[in-house]
Amino acid sequence: MNGEREARAALHRRVRDFIDASEKGDITAESFDELGLDIARHQAEHVPAYRRLTSHRRCHPRDATSVREVPAVPTDAFRLTRIAAHTPSEDAAIFRTSGTTSGARGEHPLSTTATYEKAALAWGRWALFFDAPPAGTQPSFASVRTAIALTPRRTLPLGDSSLHFMVQLFAADFAREACFLQLSPDTLADPGELRARSAAARHAGNAVVVMGASFAFVHVLDALGDEPLALPEGSRIMHTGGFKGRSREVAPSELLARMAATFGVPQSAVVGEYGMTELSSQLYEGTWRAARGLPTPSARHGVFVAPPWMRVVAVDDDTLDPLPAGEAGILRFEDLGNVDSALAVQTADRGRCAGSTVELLGRLPGAPARGCALAVEELMGSP
Amino acid sequence: MNDTALSREHRERRVLAVIEAARRLADARDPLGRDARRALPAATGLSEASIELSLSRHLETSVTPADLAKLVTRAGSAPRVHVVLSANVFTAVVRAVALAVAAAPSVVVRPSSREAVLAPLLLRALVEQGSDVRFELSENLAPAPGDHVHVYGRSETIATIEARCSPGVTVRGHGPGFGVVYVSGDALDERTTGDLGSVAERVSWDIVAFDQRGCLSPRVAFVEGPPAAAERFASSLADALERREKEVPRGALTDTERRERALYRQTVQAIGPCHDGTTSVVGVDLDPRAMLIPPTGRHVHVVRIADPGDMTRLLAPHRTAITCIGVSEPSSCVRSIAALAPGARILPLGDMQRPPLDGPVDQRGML
Repeated sequence: MNGEREARAALHRRVRDFIDASEKGDITAESFDELGLDIARHQAEHVPAYRRLTSHRRCHPRDATSVREVPAVPTDAFRLTRIAAHTPSEDAAIFRTSGTTSGARGEHPLSTTATYEKAALAWGRWALFFDAPPAGTQPSFASVRTAIALTPRRTLPLGDSSLHFMVQLFAADFAREACFLQLSPDTLADPGELRARSAAARHAGNAVVVMGASFAFVHVLDALGDEPLALPEGSRIMHTGGFKGRSREVAPSELLARMAATFGVPQSAVVGEYGMTELSSQLYEGTWRAARGLPTPSARHGVFVAPPWMRVVAVDDDTLDPLPAGEAGILRFEDLGNVDSALAVQTADRGRCAGSTVELLGRLPGAPARGCALAVEELMGSP
Repeated sequence: MNDTALSREHRERRVLAVIEAARRLADARDPLGRDARRALPAATGLSEASIELSLSRHLETSVTPADLAKLVTRAGSAPRVHVVLSANVFTAVVRAVALAVAAAPSVVVRPSSREAVLAPLLLRALVEQGSDVRFELSENLAPAPGDHVHVYGRSETIATIEARCSPGVTVRGHGPGFGVVYVSGDALDERTTGDLGSVAERVSWDIVAFDQRGCLSPRVAFVEGPPAAAERFASSLADALERREKEVPRGALTDTERRERALYRQTVQAIGPCHDGTTSVVGVDLDPRAMLIPPTGRHVHVVRIADPGDMTRLLAPHRTAITCIGVSEPSSCVRSIAALAPGARILPLGDMQRPPLDGPVDQRGML
C-alpha cells in the first residue's frame, strides 16, 4: 500500500507540473497520453471498480496506446460504489453530488485537494480572472475587489459540494474580500444582502465577481424583479448547473439576458461554468476572454472550453466508441486531475466536440438529472 | 342514461362482454385475432413472437366472480368515463375498457397515437357479438363536469390532463412504475426445496413480456443470502433470458433504450459481475450502496441482500413507483415486503404480468 501511496503522490506531482507548464504556455515534460495512461494503469491496479471494468471490457490500459482507448467509468458508478485508489482513511475530501430522488449521492473521494485546487485556479484564471497576477507570484492586487458568492461559506470539516469548495477557492485567491450570501446549505442566498453588497461595490466603484449555481441566480433574480443592481465596470458573473427540483427552469438565453440586465454587465461578462462532482477540472465559456481581446477557442455562450489537461469527446451512445469531431453524442471526459478516481468518466450529457470546445446539447432523454439538478424522475416505463 | 341506471349486475355483464370480445383478439384463428397479429408488430416494435405471447398469455380473457366483484367496486361510478391509453402495453386496453364500462354507461377511448390497433379491434368485436356495450373512439378529450378521466401513461401526461380538465372532472391517473423480484434464501437453497433453475425460468418470462416496458415488469431482483447465491441466480437468469431470446426475440429498441443499455452495462461492469447477453444485460451488485434501476429492454439488476430489511432500505426512495413485487414463495417476509410499497401487487414469479382482473393493474393509492 505504501508503494501505491508513493506512486499516487508522484502522479499527482506530475499532473500539477503538467498544469503549471500548460498555464505558462510551456511545452509539457510529457504528453497528455503518456501521463494519462500512467494514471489509468495505476487505477486499473488500485481502484477495484476500475479493475472490474477493464476486466469486463477486456481492455487494460497497459495495452493501450492512447487515453482514448481506455474504458470510461459512468457517472452513475460513483453513486453505487467507491471509486478510489486510496483507502477511506486517506480521504482528504469527499465531494458529493446533489441529493437525488434515487437515494444515495455520488461520491468523489480525494486523497489530496492540491491537484484539484491547482486545476481549478489555473482554468478559473484563464476564463474569469486573467487580470490577476500569475500563479506563484506575490499578488499586489487581486482580480476583483469583492467576491459575492451565492453559496455558503465552507465550513470545517470540508463541505461536500465541489462547487462550494471551488467558489471558496476563487474568493480566497482572486478577491480581496468575500461574502457568502447563503447562510446554510439548506437555504437560498439572501436577495437583500445581495442588494446591499452590490450597492457597496457600486459606491466604491470596484469590480466584483458574483458566483453561484444557476438555480440560485434564478431565485435572487425572481426576488429582485426588475430592480437593477448595476455593478461597476469590470464586474463579472460565474454561474453553473441546472434547475430541476431547485427552482423553476429558465431557458439559458433568458437567464443570460436577465443576469446581464440586473447586474448591469455585458452578456460577455456572464460566464457559464461546466463541471461535475466526478471531475477535478472544469470547463468555461470563453466570452469574457473574447470581450477583453484575449484568445479563446470559442466566444459563444453554450460552448465550453476544456483546459489542456482535460480532453472531451462525444461518443456513440450505443457502442460508446468515439465519434468524429463535430458529431453529436454523449460526452466522455478524460481528466488528468482525476488521479485518485477515474481518469475517464462517461456522462449521459449530450454534446458536440471540436478541438477543446464542447457544445452542450442537453441531457440524454430519459437519463436521471445530475449535477446541481435534482432528479425528479427515474428511469421507468409507463404502464 | 345516468350512472345510477347501472345496477351492479348490469356493470358485471358489461365487463363480461368486454372479456368475451377480448377472447376473439386472443384467438389466432379469429379474423380479428389475425388482424391484431398483423398490425401490432409495426405499431409496437415488439417481435411477432412477442405479440403472440402477449395476446395468448397476457390479454385478459377470463375473470373469477370474486375478482369481477372487486373490479366493479373499484371502478367507481360516473355518467361518462374518458380513457386515455398508453402505447407501452397494448393489451392494457381490455382492462382499461372493462373498468370504464363498469363505471359508466358512456365511455370514450383515446388510443395512443403510437398504437391505435387494439382498441378499434376490441370495439369491432363488441359490435359483431351484438353486445349493447359500446365505446366511442376519439382523438379528442373533452370531459364535462362529473365525468371521470382514466389516464394511463407518463407522469407528465397525467399532470397535463389534470391541469386542463375543468373543475368537477375527476382524473384517475395510473402513472409509471416498475416491478421488483424478491427471491428468498430458501428458494435458492438446494438442500431444502429450492430450485434455482425454476425460479430463474419464471422470472425470465416476467421480464420478456412487452420487452419490459410495462409498469409490472421486473427490473430489479433482490436475492437473499450469501453473495454466491446472487451470483448463481444471475447466471441462471442470464441463461434463461438467452433461451427466451431464441423463443421470443426481443423487438427493436428505441434510440433512448439503446443509449441507456450501453450506459447501464458499462456501469454494472464497474460494480460487479455482469452477464452481457445477446439482447439482455444482467448486472449484479453484491454490496449495494444504492439502487440502480436498469433501462427497459430485458435488463435486470440482481442485488444481493442479507435480509428483507436491506431491500426496504434500498427501495425506500422508489417505494411510490413500485407497482408489483414478485415473490419466489409465500413466506413470512411477504408482509414486510408489502408494507414497503402499499398498493403494490404481490404476485408469484412467472405471473407478475398476469395480475387478477380485479381493478386497475396499478393499485397505488387505491388500497
